[in-house]
Amino acid sequence: MTQQAISQTVSPPLIPRSSTTTESNKTGSWRFLKPRYDEKTAPCSAACPAGEDIARVEMLVAQGLFKEAWETILQENPFPAVCGRVCFHPCERACNRGEFDDPIAIHTLERFVADTAMRYDLQADIARRPVQGPRIAVVGSGPSGLAAAYFLARLGYTCDVFESMGEPGGVLRWGIPPYRLPVHVLEWEIDRIRSLGVEIHCNHRVSADFLRQARDRYQAVFIGCGHHRNVDLGIPGEDLDGVAEGLPFLEQVRAGNLPDLSGRVAVLGGGNTAVDVSRCALRLGAKPVIVYRRRRQDMPAFEHEIAMALEEGVELMELWTPLEITPHPDGYRLVLQRMAVASQEGPRAQVRPAAGQTQELVVSKVFKAIGNAPEESWMQPPEGDARTLRLANTALVELHGGPLVVYGGDLAALEKSVTHAVASGKEAAMALDTYCQQGWDAVESRISQCRVGPGPSLSMEMYLGGDRCRRNPHVVVFQEINTDYFLYAPRLAQPRLLKEERVRDFSEIDLKISAALAIREAERCFNCGVCNQCDNCRLFCPDLAVCRDDNPQGRRIDYDYCKGCGVCVVECPRNAMALE
Amino acid sequence: MELNVLDRDYMCSGHVGCPGCGAAIAMRFLLKALGEKTMMVIPACCWSIIAGPYPQSTLKVPVLHTAFETGGAVASGLRAALDTKGDTETTVVTWAGDGGTFDIGFQALSGAVERNEDFIYVCYDNEAYMNTGVQRSSSTPYGAWTTTTPGQEWKRLRKKNIVEALVAHRIPYAATASIAFPEDLVRKVQKAKSIKGSRFLHIYASCPTGWRIPSEMSIKIARMAVQTNIFPLYEVENGVRYTINYMPKGYLVREYFKLQGRFKHLTDDDLEQIQEMVNEDWELLLRKAGVAMSAAGTVA
Repeated sequence: MTQQAISQTVSPPLIPRSSTTTESNKTGSWRFLKPRYDEKTAPCSAACPAGEDIARVEMLVAQGLFKEAWETILQENPFPAVCGRVCFHPCERACNRGEFDDPIAIHTLERFVADTAMRYDLQADIARRPVQGPRIAVVGSGPSGLAAAYFLARLGYTCDVFESMGEPGGVLRWGIPPYRLPVHVLEWEIDRIRSLGVEIHCNHRVSADFLRQARDRYQAVFIGCGHHRNVDLGIPGEDLDGVAEGLPFLEQVRAGNLPDLSGRVAVLGGGNTAVDVSRCALRLGAKPVIVYRRRRQDMPAFEHEIAMALEEGVELMELWTPLEITPHPDGYRLVLQRMAVASQEGPRAQVRPAAGQTQELVVSKVFKAIGNAPEESWMQPPEGDARTLRLANTALVELHGGPLVVYGGDLAALEKSVTHAVASGKEAAMALDTYCQQGWDAVESRISQCRVGPGPSLSMEMYLGGDRCRRNPHVVVFQEINTDYFLYAPRLAQPRLLKEERVRDFSEIDLKISAALAIREAERCFNCGVCNQCDNCRLFCPDLAVCRDDNPQGRRIDYDYCKGCGVCVVECPRNAMALE
Repeated sequence: MELNVLDRDYMCSGHVGCPGCGAAIAMRFLLKALGEKTMMVIPACCWSIIAGPYPQSTLKVPVLHTAFETGGAVASGLRAALDTKGDTETTVVTWAGDGGTFDIGFQALSGAVERNEDFIYVCYDNEAYMNTGVQRSSSTPYGAWTTTTPGQEWKRLRKKNIVEALVAHRIPYAATASIAFPEDLVRKVQKAKSIKGSRFLHIYASCPTGWRIPSEMSIKIARMAVQTNIFPLYEVENGVRYTINYMPKGYLVREYFKLQGRFKHLTDDDLEQIQEMVNEDWELLLRKAGVAMSAAGTVA
């Protein structure tokens, strides 16, 4: 057989063979619904007065990117180490994971990333405008004043902060005991604010005249000097020698000037000051009893602080109010009136005296901690004809012949808390910047563009035109999470000093957690509405129509081929996509 | 799992599977796991169409489209031809639907695995003849509507347990897998690839068109089939060694049934009865796997 004949016998049989791919079929034309990436707002960030981007922070912690997580918090809050310790964390009450098993320990993770930055002395790399001309005066170096100065400095303003005390920090330094907030933590955060060029002038008390003269030197003044004057009880004997005020006592403890206490000590009031005073008194050897006219659940103090105080041995007398204080051989004699709940309407129960029910209480010392008010009248927004704009946590006033004045912190915030003070400082900075650049009329609408969710929380990242502007303001609810992708896992248990160790001295109660524990806790986070690059959309696409891309999202949908089945949207565990 | 297995693809866009097609997702995962040294045999089934009209092919590996009943035989021949050429590296895979496996192709399949032919047979199961218009097969589950079991004539016979039929041949490896559990699926394909002899994979592939479900629920429903014990994930080595890969968390079968149009006629009593059947099958599987029942959470 010839060579040719052999090759003929083994030539392939005549069967049809494909010669091209299916890529010429643009199956996108079948589509009648269109998926797209649609990042939304997490409930925690909407509940955070400072509008922190918590879902993203937890995503970064879970990836081990602690510095980036810290910087993400610093976008919105100059005090992560402080707030991680002292904030009442409304974020955790809003956490969707709470409907699944337990909320994420957000405050513990905030403290962890800040402590990690402190430990390695990291320098934050955060968006900042170049320094411009206008100077702004800030009265008070508490959390609102320092936050205002921090955000204004980032917006390019030069700030002078005036503080009447010898050291900056306001309530953070003088009102919060060391077992909740060690002073070196506060100093580290304040140093970072100083490093932005903020000048803090201590021992510099500002008077009403200052406002009149400020126009020459300052474009505007922020007043955030807090509520520092104690409110009177209005009962006989409250001015007796030795009946002390709560805040000065806390200041004394902070200054290291520790008085000896013994026996029963009465603390009158139900706020955080009352609880802190009683816990400090306990550490100094006394047996404190808190006397409060309403019930425990009506106390303005944070619930977890009350619980810890009771655990440590503080006694609580609910529904009793003092009628008079008289001297007694063992100290003081208090006559207490029994109160009864008259109505449960409103956030706190209304109470009235229960006729004929009184009792006596003999104590070695009495502390009054029933509330505070501004020290001087000029520290409050004026009533009258001055042009005024009330925002959620600040009040802007154009004084006649004076500079623009912004009242913030406790003077104007929705609630008296450190994080509301930070929110107030941020709102003030945005308002002042908008006022300086676009005038009075632009302020309200400009600020409303920076809202995180439907409430008053604001984002500086959004004000500066950052990535968060892309987020849909819709707040993700639990039913929108695909829980198939999450396993039940217990919440991180905060390590603490033992009760016996706590009452011995003023050491910080909450202990550090390891990076491994922090990552595990952050991995529990649903990252509601925020893409964490899990890649499910790309993995499950039956049409290979989701592609990697170098855009900020990391991937894109190829609408030439996407048939609109919607699998990507349903399989997104965190509702960061939409089908429409 | 090999690094980046889930990143590679041997399939193109533009195929003509329905929106949300579970069989298309199953093929994507299979080829991610097998890689390019693969030859496919596809007897008549949905994928005969999905792969594209002549002269197109959506797959980046060679495919032999063959007659309905020949999946086992053609793969045996292809393997023999490759062996003759000295190519032992290429994996031969038959990719058949439930009709081509449970019914029409069963004889050729049984014959090939009895001879322990060296290939992987994959049945992607969408529980009816979907390509020709939703006719019932012996894989159609108890309670389902199809165009040949319409209205009140819904199927009142149980689904054939194909894995047990293959296990009875004492083949080296048989396993179930689901498109909702990609890591498990890819691991099983890679394990099958590493074994010589006949290997069988039964992959659950939801069908939005034939099951009357919204296309976006494709994966969700596949996941629920596993969570409810309707489609347990397990593997069997050498016909005797059972391993259960997913322990259920107590979902009721009614959750799975109520999402699908093909089951909408079922009453509470019917669902009760189906729950009992599922429990019975699951307990039987547990006994084979030697797992104590109390530890494995049978749904009461």
